[in-house]
Amino acid sequence: MNIIEIGGLTKKFGDFAAVDNMSLTLKEGEIFGFLGANGAGKSTTISMIASLLRPTKGEIKFLGKNIAKNAHFAKMNIGMVPQDLAIYEDMSAYENVRFFAGLYGFRGGELKARVEEALSFVGLGDKQKELPKNFSGGMKRRLNIACAIAHRPKLIIMDEPTVGIDPHSRNYILQSVKELNRMGCTILYTSHYMEEVEEICTRIAIVDHGKIIADGTKEQLKAIITDSKEIWIDVKSVEGLNQEQLKEIRGVLSVRIEEQRIKIQSRAEIGNLNDIVQQLIRDGMEIRAVEEQAPNLETVFLTLTGRNLRD
Amino acid sequence: MNTLHIAKKEIVTALRNKSTFIFMLAFPIALMLILGLALSNAFSGSVEIDDIKMAYKIDQASPALAAGWQSFADAAEESGVTIEALPPGQDGKQAVKEAQYAAYAEVSDQGIDFYDNSRSTIESNILQGMLTSFADRYNLVAAYANAGASSPASDAGQTSVQLVKTSSLTPDSKPNSMDYYAIAMTTMIALYAALSSASLIESERSRHTIVRLSAAPVSKTEIFAGKVLGGTVINAIFIVAVMLLSHFAFGANWGDHPGHVLLVLLTEVVMAVGFGLAAGMIFRNKASQSFLLIFIQIASFVGGAYFPVDDFGGFIGAISYYSPLRWNNSGVMQTVFGGDTSAALWAACYNLAGAAVLLAICMFLIRRRETI
Ligand SMILES: Nc1ncnc2c1ncn2[C@@H]1O[C@H](COP(=O)(O)OP(=O)(O)O)[C@@H](O)[C@H]1O
Ligand SMILES: [Mg+2]
Repeated sequence: MNIIEIGGLTKKFGDFAAVDNMSLTLKEGEIFGFLGANGAGKSTTISMIASLLRPTKGEIKFLGKNIAKNAHFAKMNIGMVPQDLAIYEDMSAYENVRFFAGLYGFRGGELKARVEEALSFVGLGDKQKELPKNFSGGMKRRLNIACAIAHRPKLIIMDEPTVGIDPHSRNYILQSVKELNRMGCTILYTSHYMEEVEEICTRIAIVDHGKIIADGTKEQLKAIITDSKEIWIDVKSVEGLNQEQLKEIRGVLSVRIEEQRIKIQSRAEIGNLNDIVQQLIRDGMEIRAVEEQAPNLETVFLTLTGRNLRD
Repeated sequence: MNTLHIAKKEIVTALRNKSTFIFMLAFPIALMLILGLALSNAFSGSVEIDDIKMAYKIDQASPALAAGWQSFADAAEESGVTIEALPPGQDGKQAVKEAQYAAYAEVSDQGIDFYDNSRSTIESNILQGMLTSFADRYNLVAAYANAGASSPASDAGQTSVQLVKTSSLTPDSKPNSMDYYAIAMTTMIALYAALSSASLIESERSRHTIVRLSAAPVSKTEIFAGKVLGGTVINAIFIVAVMLLSHFAFGANWGDHPGHVLLVLLTEVVMAVGFGLAAGMIFRNKASQSFLLIFIQIASFVGGAYFPVDDFGGFIGAISYYSPLRWNNSGVMQTVFGGDTSAALWAACYNLAGAAVLLAICMFLIRRRETI
């Protein structure tokens, strides 16, 4: 069953189309990744799904029903984890979740049970009485999630839920997403972190300039890239490296540097590794390791958009 | 239900906030003390009830009315208010303008025409209160006109006040400076409700929680109603606390009709909450705070919060009538010192009319927005 069907969705701010004639289908039980650089239109799209913004054009259906005409039904069954923390710092973790869950009509014992369930799910069961102002960034992010799941939505929309947190909390959140999915929730997961999306999502759409430019499983997406490969070369220090010379080498498409790692994208059919290594030695590089990468989502993204995901 | 849920959250968090207590409780009480004590001397001279003198002329009155009037005047005399017949050949209105009398009344079977001097608000409030309760007893229609030298409307129209309720004379009411400032500070702090209300909706925006509220199955109207209700209840709690504190700690006089006084104050709070919400939506956070502070300061100054609005003439005198505090102070004082509950009802009506307009503006703005 399709939980979300989007057709011809457009959102304009003035003349600028933040979402541009987008069509998309989410099936029940998926963890659907929405991958795109900042400003691609991810938040605008999910805001329309969550009834926060009205589409300029197009239609959104939730479980077969138009969300504009069945707003109550859609809202009752959708949980939204906003990109910006949306919690009251002057109310305890418990009160935060209780207030938001209360908006879904729960009262009394049932409300209490759901609040406690949501808090222990995100690992804040023993911090219920504490104020979020004393929480770490990761704990706040987890509370942000708890506030969105206490009403047990069928679809949970998460807008960059791991921005700016420590690896431990990030991992906790990713595991929670998988757990929620196992419990039967469909997840729409927005991120500009390729590794996260690759790790947890069953299907991925790449968004750019308000459009979906590719979608499918990671394998399907990677299969798009058959004509290029990526070579990673670790060196002791990149000081003295002449990037321009590297780019002159036959077949080299792009060169990026991440700390002591030189990432070179190159045409797949051209054997130019010798030339590359010789050039690096001429530049005085001390080579530690050379690795040819299988295509990953980052290369897919780069190839499709011509831009780096984090630019 | 959602409205109550949202209102409850506002109330609980406000009551948890120390600054709410400082602002809504400590601030007005401190001002009452300072103003009430510091100005007690200057003050008592001008409002001691013994000093109040009113002239009257009786025309075409039935014997019953004439006798009733005489006993009324005698009773007033006992409480220190001098009510004397206008000496023949003298112009009553002129005498009021020249401040020989605080007020002048023309009594007839058609009603009482009342002329006061806008420079002596408190005296006039007391006299008006006494007169309307007298008139009420005799089923008259009291007409009140302001004969103040500076008011352009004075001769043009005499407003008739249809009396609706019997109220007793409270001849021993004697407002001292503490009584005055207890009322003036309470009506002022009720207006300050606008300041905290400005952020009721805007703070949800700045904390991004507006996203959750909008994503939840709650209508904009429910959210708005919850905010108005929450803001009103919080401020009402503090208003009642200020009244009780001023009464029990400083012995401030709140009169024999606390229900009516409360009605004025509560309707004033609703109006102030609407005012704050509208300002918050129009100007957005910071600018709305400055706007409201300036507005409330001016309204307080010209509306009688810091001293009785006696000597204002010209421009300031004219704008003072637009200060919500002027009609609220006047309504409460006439009720407390004159036992005139209809004054309270009128003030409450003005407040509710103001509230209705402001809340309608808010609803209009909310409907135009995508999210609340
Ligand atoms: N309310 C708005 N008014 C005008 N422009 C907006 C508004 N919201 C978003 N945009 C623009 O729309 C584009 C997409 O934004 P957004 O959906 O937030 O992207 P993402 O979530 O992918 O980073 C951006 O260029 C952004 O500046
Ligand atoms: Mg975004």
